[in-house]
Amino acid sequence: MTETATGAVELVELRKTFGDVAAVDGIDVEIRPGEFFSLLGPSGCGKTTTLRLIAGFERPDGGRILLDGVDMVATPPHRRKVNTVFQSYALFPHLDVFDNVAFGLRRQRVKKTEIRSRVETVLRAVRLDGYEQRRPAQLSGGQQQRVALARALVLNPSVLLLDEPLGALDAKLRKALQIELKSIQEQFGITFVYVTHDQEEALTMSDRIAVMSGGHVEQIAAPTEMYEEPRTVFVADFLGISNLMTVTVDGAEGGVCRARLGDFILRAAQGETAEVRGETRVVIRPERVRIEPYESTGDNRVPGMIERVVYLGSSEQLVVRLATGDVVHALFVNDGTLRDFAQGTAVQIHFPAEALRVLPSTRTPATAPEPEPSPALAVDPVPSPSGH
Amino acid sequence: MRRARDWWANPWGQPRFLAVVTWGYMVWSIVPVGIAVLFSFNDGRSRSVWQGFSMRWYWGDPNLSVLHDPSMRGALEQSLKLAALDMVIAVPLGVGLALGLTRWVGYGARPVNFLMLFPLVTPEIVMAVSLLLIFVTLYKIPLGTTAQVLGQVTFSISYVVVVVRSRLLSIGKQYEEAARDLGASALGALRLVLMPLLTPAIFASLMVVFALSIDDFVVTDYLSSNESTQTVPIKIYSGVRGTTTPALNALATVMVLATLVAVGLAFFVYRRVNSLQRAESGTGTALHEIAALEM
Amino acid sequence: MTRRWFWPSFALPGAAWLVLLFLVPTYAVLAVAFGTVDPIFNNPVPVWDPLHWQFSTMRGVLDDLRPGHVFWIVFVRTFVYVGISLAGCLAIGYPVAYYLARHARRTKALLLILLIIPFWVSYLMRMLAWIGLLLPDGLVNKTLMDVGVLSHPYGWLDGQSSSVILALIYGYVPYLILPLYASLDRIASQVLEAGRDLGASPISTFLHVTLPLSRHGILAASVLIALPMFGDYYTNDVISGSPRTSMIGNQINLFFQGGPQRTVGASLVIVLSVMLAVLMSYYLWVTVRASRSETIL
Repeated sequence: MTETATGAVELVELRKTFGDVAAVDGIDVEIRPGEFFSLLGPSGCGKTTTLRLIAGFERPDGGRILLDGVDMVATPPHRRKVNTVFQSYALFPHLDVFDNVAFGLRRQRVKKTEIRSRVETVLRAVRLDGYEQRRPAQLSGGQQQRVALARALVLNPSVLLLDEPLGALDAKLRKALQIELKSIQEQFGITFVYVTHDQEEALTMSDRIAVMSGGHVEQIAAPTEMYEEPRTVFVADFLGISNLMTVTVDGAEGGVCRARLGDFILRAAQGETAEVRGETRVVIRPERVRIEPYESTGDNRVPGMIERVVYLGSSEQLVVRLATGDVVHALFVNDGTLRDFAQGTAVQIHFPAEALRVLPSTRTPATAPEPEPSPALAVDPVPSPSGH
Repeated sequence: MRRARDWWANPWGQPRFLAVVTWGYMVWSIVPVGIAVLFSFNDGRSRSVWQGFSMRWYWGDPNLSVLHDPSMRGALEQSLKLAALDMVIAVPLGVGLALGLTRWVGYGARPVNFLMLFPLVTPEIVMAVSLLLIFVTLYKIPLGTTAQVLGQVTFSISYVVVVVRSRLLSIGKQYEEAARDLGASALGALRLVLMPLLTPAIFASLMVVFALSIDDFVVTDYLSSNESTQTVPIKIYSGVRGTTTPALNALATVMVLATLVAVGLAFFVYRRVNSLQRAESGTGTALHEIAALEM
Repeated sequence: MTRRWFWPSFALPGAAWLVLLFLVPTYAVLAVAFGTVDPIFNNPVPVWDPLHWQFSTMRGVLDDLRPGHVFWIVFVRTFVYVGISLAGCLAIGYPVAYYLARHARRTKALLLILLIIPFWVSYLMRMLAWIGLLLPDGLVNKTLMDVGVLSHPYGWLDGQSSSVILALIYGYVPYLILPLYASLDRIASQVLEAGRDLGASPISTFLHVTLPLSRHGILAASVLIALPMFGDYYTNDVISGSPRTSMIGNQINLFFQGGPQRTVGASLVIVLSVMLAVLMSYYLWVTVRASRSETIL
């Protein structure tokens, strides 16, 4: 169907400023052909600007954009082999579904019979066959989104850019479409560059993720690595609950560093244990935190009290306050085991060393809230006129 | 040469051609008026040949300047008189109509709304003719200032309604409902809450009526009687093809200045009160504000 | 609960005024057109009872409207003037409105102010300005002679159709640009970007996306200036002053100078109003149809 290895995108020291604000501040990203690549970050981090730069709607102030090795700097948007699915779908209100999808083909002067067959094929792929005569105003949000997708896909682009396409849909519809999008991507083999602020969405769908903040790329990794091995405080906090705690590292041996949390000593085996010294943060995911009876002893244990028990149906979340004052979240799957978790119970919180990760002490990101871990979005103070 | 062509065919969609046309249009649109204003300061009697700078047509010339020529000055006075009367009558009528139309729930609203819209799409000559005929035949109102005012108010009301209504719709019912909730009567809520909020729109409509009245020609001309009821536009119309002096330009310039000042004032007042009110908007503060008022 | 008459009572004075001074006068036009003429004083006598209306004057007017007759020529000429002026206004106004709506970012505020200024400069003042330029010793003739296009001054103001059309365009184009700008502004940027994204060059996007989407705005703005233009007489009077370029408005004006002619004038007003009502109805029909198929933004 498509030739081998097309759809590689490379951004080299890409920069874009609006006024005196750098929406994209010198980023380097390499996207492999055929991969589902997400740009993840809070509002204003620069992800949409990056997407628009790749599409050609903005002109970079510095750096290069390479599509399959060719510099796109002088190519206007209508000549790039890149198509966009817009956040607002941007369907042409004066055309029906068929004409919307056929629009790009007609600009290429494709023959009428070929147009008809290609449009029908792609509409079938997005399960909208039979809707050809409808107008956008007569379609639901989910249907409009699928037309927007079909309109872009029918042109066989090397790269498809998606700007928060599921943002306007309700939760259930979003989940269903996430699965559909992923399967379409795998079926067509096109490189997807997907912009979102929803970390769960990025984790579910992507082959690799780039987390962005304030115009910079914080980390690029596959979902598993991104979640379990975050490299900065921002990444750790943006994805899931992070249980960040401020510690002082005074030494390391054999790949395990010694960190002082208040009066307690913790050993962390994850992260750059050999390099980090001084005041920094550690992170542990709530599902790795072990709650043990108060009498329990051993390394990496801190006493504390259960503040709140939150029943989530399939799991139970505990909010625990340590003797040091830090608040920590722990997560338990309801596997039928009886646990004595009442509010006010004194317990020992055990942070297994192999699950405790030490983060670099350098850049303090924009937010890094004090140990009041929340899965909410980090607020980026850098304003961006174009929205993201 | 390639640089020039690249500048012209910029792929990032900043079409130079359109920019050139737009600025060209602005020049073509405004420069002739500027030249006419310039010639009002002409030292000689010509309206087309520059003979030096002078203020003689404004107040210098003892016979023909705007200040001293009785027909010129009279035209200016008549224009201002009509404008004042138009403002004072049309705005209250229009505000009431806007209030009524926006809040009216019932069968009468649609036809009244339709009636209000009609003057906006009727050509002036149709309106002028109909007013002339009704004054002469049925109402037996003599032509002159009274007739002119009646005519001007008739087409001004609809503009007031348009300006005030849009503001009313954006204010919404929330403030009055808060006031009623706190014990005010319907009239009290109107007086204490809605009217203050409407002030910028009322002021804006005053200025709009002023500008409309000052610039009006057809209706005012048809309903005029003799030279004493001539306004500035009428004076320009009757004098422009003849051998008049730049005093005509001076008269027109004074009028333009008055209009621009009025419109500019309306704009700034509207903006300022708007931003003040928006800084304090929100139903919470609305309740707070109202509670602070003496009921 | 507010009493039902509370709000309507505010509208009463304004509504009453409009009835007395707008509706009734409109009826007066009919009463005079279908009325008689007092033989002694030569005044038009209105007939208020429709049952006694006389149609002889109207018949005479309609008779003179037939091709080749007096009014036919004037009507055709008016249509031609309005048609050409409208085309000229659109040719100038659309690019300006488009630029303002879609491009001028930094200069937008300034351009809007410059655009609005002619709005508030009296129409007659703007005509005064052009007459000053078009006088035999005015700037236009001077420049054209300096450049060598003219050898002696041209009589721009001597009953020239071209001058009238130029003046109409100059006079009415600001009233076209503003609503056109408002309508173009409403087109979502992303829809236009989608056009570019899908392979349409800037010109192609304009032809296939922008133009279709602005069709209704163009119609609305055109109707907005065509209506008053059809009744315009003062432009012709000041720019040309010759019966050679007389428009419908001039004819009506002629018949109102006095006496029995007012019956004819009133009849002409009715004919003009009917014509404009047809135009308005077409516009409303198109609007209703477009909003039903939801192609209007």
